[in-house]
Amino acid sequence: MSSMHLSQLHKWMLSSPPIEWAVNQLRELLIGAIRQGPVPQHIAFVMDGNRRFARSHKIETVEGHNLGFEALARILEVCYKSGVKIVTVYAFSIENFKRSKYEVDALMAMAKIKLQQLSQHGELLHKYGASIRVLGQRDLIKPDVLEAVDRAVELTKNNGDGGLLQAFISSSATLLTDSNYTKDPVQESQHFALTFDIPYTIKHIRRHDSISTTTTLHADSPNDGQEGPLYPDPETITSSTIEEHLLTAGNPPLDLLIRTSGVKRLSDFMLWQCHEETEIVFLDTLWPDFDLWSFLPVLVEWQWKQKHIEEKGSANGIKNSKIKVR
Amino acid sequence: MSVASRETDIYRRDAKVDHNLLTPAERERLLKPYLPTPPTRSPSKRGRKDGIPSIRIDQPKGSRLGVRKFLKNQLHALVYTIVHAIFSVYIRFRQAYHAVKDRIFAILYYHHRTPELIQKDVKGLSRLPEHLSVVLKLEDGGRGGAGLEALVDEVAEIAAWCACVGIPMLSVYEQSGILKGYLPAAHRAISRKLSSYFGPQHPALSLRAPHVPSMESPSSPPTSGAPGPSSKTLSILLLSSEDGRDSLVDLTKTLTEMSQRSKLSTKDISSDLIDAELSESVMGEPELLILFSPSVELAGYPPWQVRLTEIYHVQDNQGVGYQVFLRALYNFANAQMRFGR
Repeated sequence: MSSMHLSQLHKWMLSSPPIEWAVNQLRELLIGAIRQGPVPQHIAFVMDGNRRFARSHKIETVEGHNLGFEALARILEVCYKSGVKIVTVYAFSIENFKRSKYEVDALMAMAKIKLQQLSQHGELLHKYGASIRVLGQRDLIKPDVLEAVDRAVELTKNNGDGGLLQAFISSSATLLTDSNYTKDPVQESQHFALTFDIPYTIKHIRRHDSISTTTTLHADSPNDGQEGPLYPDPETITSSTIEEHLLTAGNPPLDLLIRTSGVKRLSDFMLWQCHEETEIVFLDTLWPDFDLWSFLPVLVEWQWKQKHIEEKGSANGIKNSKIKVR
Repeated sequence: MSVASRETDIYRRDAKVDHNLLTPAERERLLKPYLPTPPTRSPSKRGRKDGIPSIRIDQPKGSRLGVRKFLKNQLHALVYTIVHAIFSVYIRFRQAYHAVKDRIFAILYYHHRTPELIQKDVKGLSRLPEHLSVVLKLEDGGRGGAGLEALVDEVAEIAAWCACVGIPMLSVYEQSGILKGYLPAAHRAISRKLSSYFGPQHPALSLRAPHVPSMESPSSPPTSGAPGPSSKTLSILLLSSEDGRDSLVDLTKTLTEMSQRSKLSTKDISSDLIDAELSESVMGEPELLILFSPSVELAGYPPWQVRLTEIYHVQDNQGVGYQVFLRALYNFANAQMRFGR
């Protein structure tokens, strides 16, 4: 209870106009300062802890997800202002679909409404060059939500480089076959978590004749197949081939992966992308609590490390080898 | 009530009725004060639609706002320097604090090369990993094998702890894979270490590496023929970066070839198949991954297998230590396994 009062007092203090103004100025200043250094180009978030937050604050789970969405909006603002190009969030995992129907429905409804609402502001999105992509297992989404998804994606498709939000719908095991059903090579030519890319790649390589017009396959197009005349030689597959067939193809390498709420697992998220040089950060904060003040230390530490790597790299040429690995 | 919280309130009320309270125009008005300057960074006289917006543009436009922008940039650069100066100080303190803490832990929990002590340390734990994985780093300072020797010693130490705790499977990841070239030597070193812990009757040891004509060595215990109490086997697997992406690439090649020759339908390729193939050719999924590095960076660790692995590291820790190992086990036992998010 006392913490409740304290937080009330705290809120009251913070909401007095001069302090509010000062805090806002400070935020802007700090974000501007962050821009001066190296900024991660691609950040991934696992938004964990909405339920626990709801439980510990004795509010409804759905309400917790709502607050989680607000936290996402806050963080996206910070990311945008500090110059992050791509933000990938783990929107739903297959385990989410196993939760109570009520909760799943509420989540879906929320996604739908938010996306619909977003679609109403096409002009604004365009102005800032923001775009949205939804990656992953689309057949898990209900048709009506999918419609909203498609609209939002379509609307922002050409909005280039302002900033990209990617949301993942994922599962661990069942997804694999899903990738074979992909129809639209542009929308879905990339497959996301590692789990799914192999058959997908194979499928594409097998169908090479039919889709050779797409640019995604240029890695294996120069060769002429030795088996069937239509198939490229499997020996030409390299890790960059796989990379190009991931859902995240074309993204800059993942610089930072943040998982909140103290769970120290990747849970099928961005495995291929994050297992090399990505800095993975596990935070104890619950996602709805996650804001600039918990994000900033992570960013500053990342920048600090980046500087050290650079120093070391220039000292003994490690950097060269790192680039080669890429 | 302040402006911001009032607006948040309006937003939430709007959200509650599925955003039917406000029209899009009203919502945009509500949002207006919070929007950053549009990415083109030019004064508002510029039209909305021309040009491709880009947030990276920082070069001055030569407008009358140039000076102000310059000053702003300078201010930001100054703040950046200050923030980083403060952070450098902070991180030194944090490192020092963690170093002291780790020292204290190391003194409180030392194994004294006594299996009984180690067993006592882990007695209260509700569960132990069946498959433990560690990431080690080759510290090559001298190039004269000192780094390699240290690495082998670390592997041997960790193997001994695992044997004491009763973890049957240990996989050791080291990026360069240098250890794979010294399998017999490593095997000897580990056996020696085990006997220094257990005495003559140490558990059987098998050391192997994927794709290497494995050192099929169900141990050569010095006192063979005595199955006795130490009939347990510890199997150690040495991994390197080529067991990560490269093995996946290889698998893709194989599967592609098979499907091109129509030996395999693409429908049959499922994650179960890949799971099976990879766990046969490389390893299964470890339950616990211990990093002895100061931060979490997987450095090419097999990506397929880490999907549900609990990743443990001690912040700012340098080097292999028994206390890190123990804390990882404690943490593993306390963590409630929640799949997914």
